[in-house]
Amino acid sequence: MESGAPSDSQSAPAVPAAISARRVAITFLSALAGCTLVYLVFAIEGKWFSAVPDRFFGANSLVMARGSAVREGDELVITHEGPGGETIVSVVTDLRSADYPVIGWVAIDVPESAQVTLLWHTDYEPAQIRKLPVRVVSGRLLPVAVVTDSHWVGRIGGLALAIHGGLTQPIRLRGVIAKPADAKETVVDRVREWIALEPWTGASINTVTGGADVQDLPLPLLLVAAVAAAAAALIWSFRGRLRVIAPSLAIVIGAMFVVAWFVLDARWTFNLVREARETALRYGGGKDWREKHLAAEDGPLFAFVEKARKVLPAAPTRIFVLADAHYYRGRAAFHLYPHNVWYDPYYNTVPPVDRLRTGDFIVVYQRKGVQYDPGGQRLRWDGGAVVPVELKFLDGGGALFVVR
Amino acid sequence: MLSDALRLGVGWAVPWILGASLLTTSRDSAGSFHRTGEIAWVVGCGWFIGAFALTVWMRILSALNVQFSWASIAGPLVIAAASLAALTAHHGSRRERIEGARAAWNELRGAALSRWKLALWFATLAWLALRSLILLFDVVTLPLYPWDAWIQWATKARVWYELGHIVPFERSDPWFAAGGTAWFDAAPNYPSTVPLWQVWTNVTLGRWDDSLMNVPWWLLAVAFTFVIYAVLRRAGYEPLGALIGTWIVSSLPLANVHVALAGYADLPMAAYYALAAIAFWRWTEQRTIANAAVACVLAAACATVKTPGVVWALTLLPALVLIAFPRKGVALVAAALAIALTALLVLARIEATVLGYHLHLDFGPPWLGMFESMFLLGNWHLLWYAVLAIAILGWREIVSQPIAPLSATIAAGLLFLFIVFAFTNARAWVTDQTTVNRAILHLAPLLSIWALIVFHAWLQRLRGMAATSVASAA
Repeated sequence: MESGAPSDSQSAPAVPAAISARRVAITFLSALAGCTLVYLVFAIEGKWFSAVPDRFFGANSLVMARGSAVREGDELVITHEGPGGETIVSVVTDLRSADYPVIGWVAIDVPESAQVTLLWHTDYEPAQIRKLPVRVVSGRLLPVAVVTDSHWVGRIGGLALAIHGGLTQPIRLRGVIAKPADAKETVVDRVREWIALEPWTGASINTVTGGADVQDLPLPLLLVAAVAAAAAALIWSFRGRLRVIAPSLAIVIGAMFVVAWFVLDARWTFNLVREARETALRYGGGKDWREKHLAAEDGPLFAFVEKARKVLPAAPTRIFVLADAHYYRGRAAFHLYPHNVWYDPYYNTVPPVDRLRTGDFIVVYQRKGVQYDPGGQRLRWDGGAVVPVELKFLDGGGALFVVR
Repeated sequence: MLSDALRLGVGWAVPWILGASLLTTSRDSAGSFHRTGEIAWVVGCGWFIGAFALTVWMRILSALNVQFSWASIAGPLVIAAASLAALTAHHGSRRERIEGARAAWNELRGAALSRWKLALWFATLAWLALRSLILLFDVVTLPLYPWDAWIQWATKARVWYELGHIVPFERSDPWFAAGGTAWFDAAPNYPSTVPLWQVWTNVTLGRWDDSLMNVPWWLLAVAFTFVIYAVLRRAGYEPLGALIGTWIVSSLPLANVHVALAGYADLPMAAYYALAAIAFWRWTEQRTIANAAVACVLAAACATVKTPGVVWALTLLPALVLIAFPRKGVALVAAALAIALTALLVLARIEATVLGYHLHLDFGPPWLGMFESMFLLGNWHLLWYAVLAIAILGWREIVSQPIAPLSATIAAGLLFLFIVFAFTNARAWVTDQTTVNRAILHLAPLLSIWALIVFHAWLQRLRGMAATSVASAA
């Protein structure tokens, strides 16, 4: 903070007075607490203080009422929807509604287009099934504040999750949790969201979420609100001599901003450290370039290409890559360079047969619709096209041919 | 591992020293090293100049049908660097160079700082070093990971490294017609600067290694921290303030991701663009041919890093106008803005495709996606809050000399981004948070530096006003 000479009580101060660091710290922390309190006022649906613990009903307690699923470890993997595109999962419970204002289904890979509903029945109206919509965000189900529904009364005898819509991929369901969602739990949940590990994924290069995919209160927002509130409080308390104290105030507000930035950066650095640990576990231990690729998610493809390379000529040659997944087409091409590789980066197409030449190679990796006739030494693919080839190498999900 | 580290160190020391030597030789006197932040500028900017010069030399070699090798690439660069160093030594004053180096060393060890400031100085350095080491670990350990890196950029690196020279990449039909003389990937038209960095790194290693070949991204980040420090010191920050500012700019999460998951050209684009803008800004202070040359070289480098780099380089024009025409510049820039807005209105009536983007002025800015990206997610920490606050509080400083040319660049850059996302089909990528953040990344480091410069200037004005008030009261 700015330092200044002591002022004479009989006249205006010669230099701006100091703003003590203690005062600034107390103001900032009070503002942070105040902003947190404001958030809690809006966020807490039930009691502020509750003695009851969370009640979690895991995959073993869940029953498929419609649709089909398999149990894998601690998950119920829903593989097919029921008749009419309806999937229903239920669980028997015995919950006191007043104790649990929030119900959350723990699931991933839920289609964004699906209509999802929470169902329940109570001892108060045992024959009635009540429902509330459940929002889907980033493939996850947001918790539902059931206390807002007037039919959430008495003892809850059963809960169910209804998903209407076709499943584009299996839904992984871990269970359902009934939460007292009091002040302490709400704060703990937010902190867990902020410090959730954000692993490296294909989306990381485009976006940094800053913790969990779904957050009820983004940390940047809370921190900047606290800085703004603290700044306003300090400006108000020095309003009588703003012109003189302005530089000190600017530095102090800047310092609070830097502290807030540091909090976010500490969280980010913590994530980087954990991410580096994951990297070390997968790719560390002295692995060389090849071993790293074998450990990667396309390891089997890399292994196939490495074996195929031994059959390919040393000099770069034309190679056509066919695969259903454009990820595999692109990765196969990358591993095959510096050979002169062609593939369709965006669509699952095949090369024009009339543009193939004798001596060209064709890699087929996990591609439906391509058939090899060993007797006739021919490949047949989309549209009935036929290509005379010789099979050079076959391994796992892939094959290498040379055009005759 | 140790031999790899040695090879990489020596391999990238060559262009770094060349770049620093080019900058040093262009100094008007050795006394210029006494200018605040000058040594940090030479160290930082030197890497970028050298890395670009390296790729220019590799392009020339390929055009002359000379195979890539340590000797063919590094040999002439070493000779050039040594000659430039000898020239500098001959013309300059040894005593002044030693004094400059001594001053820089004293600054590095915080010699002039009080006790608590010294503790904060070393804590900040340690924090910077920690992040740097974590990112280095990711760079050298992860195999090439992000999508575009292995489908659009390193494809060229692999082929050119293995063949020992640059070969053309073509789209599908021209590839078939080329009969084996062209190669194919998902983006055959992408520029070659970034792949050539990877080629050179593999040449220094003597083998293909798609983890270690990404070390240039880490070196870029390290060099850029020197640049940030130099700029902030030059803007008037005390050493501790400049170091804290350096940490702030270098801590942008998405920029860190682009180091850890190296292979994209967005971070190099951001760095070269920031450097070009800063170099033009330096030219406003010192109108020398050397400064103009550095600015022009960096602007040209922008265009060779990524396809939109051409447009980013054009956003430097308003600043150039303000520099070239100090009196009429504002009117000229305002007129240009009016023409641009008129053009936007005209484009609303027609349909066109530019650089692969379908341009039709269907005004539909994705406000929610942009708000999310800038203010709620973890991409930028509190950068955009800071920019808003600074824009309101420091508007006088923003439009006044000497910051006005830099502000013009920022304004042009923001306008470019807004046009892309509000008027083109690229807005679809805002909603799903893909291209939007990578495009913002091109501007974010420069924006951060600009915000810090404006803050400092605003603070100086407040101090002046406070001193006047006190003097009046007395």
